[in-house]
Amino acid sequence: MQQEFGRSLNKLKNIVDFTDNFFAAHDIDPSVRYIVDLCVEELFVNMVTYDTETKTDILIEMQPHERGVEVSLTGFGVERFDPREVDPVDVDAPLEQRTPGGLGLYLVLKMVSSIHYEYRDRNSKITFIADRK
Amino acid sequence: MFQIGFDDSGNIVAEGRLDAAQAPHAQEFLDAVAGDCVLDLGKLEYISSAGLGVLLRTHKRLMDANHGLRLVNVNHHINDIFMYSGFDKLFQIETGESSQ
Repeated sequence: MQQEFGRSLNKLKNIVDFTDNFFAAHDIDPSVRYIVDLCVEELFVNMVTYDTETKTDILIEMQPHERGVEVSLTGFGVERFDPREVDPVDVDAPLEQRTPGGLGLYLVLKMVSSIHYEYRDRNSKITFIADRK
Repeated sequence: MFQIGFDDSGNIVAEGRLDAAQAPHAQEFLDAVAGDCVLDLGKLEYISSAGLGVLLRTHKRLMDANHGLRLVNVNHHINDIFMYSGFDKLFQIETGESSQ
């Protein structure tokens, strides 16, 4: 199942509807739903926020994968950005050293079972697998 | 859908999905609270990093005035996110019955 979404945070509710439809159409453990929702949002928001040189839609693809889901997000005509290379977040830092932001991709890397990055012809594709732990 | 407001006992109640699109609304509401605050998350289904940022920003502001934000009735999905984010070391968190 796949669908393209415009580069707006207002599209998040449409992405949730798309994910609802995907889970309704497949027999997938509902325990992975939160992981899928969170990882898709964090990656989508990151693409919307930082890939500002393009207005092309973002393609989201989902397919069943063993005990979970394989999800891909593709941005077209963008710079390379590999989410696996982001700086780590010190989640043990005291409150005075913590600042809002930076947790999104950290959470993605923490929650997915695997993540793959592909950059070709200025198209940036992130694929992750979310499955039952 | 996301809603935030006060209940009859003066606790703050958040419901629904606190995602990046709803975070500004939550921040606007929480920017107006003061003192020791209780945030009931019993009906919050989902929170992303944007929502975590709202909670952190609010807690830091309240702590600067020797107060804070206490998070109660947290479900197990959201508690997992709090644990991954290190929020269990920053906030007083009470999980809800359904998360036990």
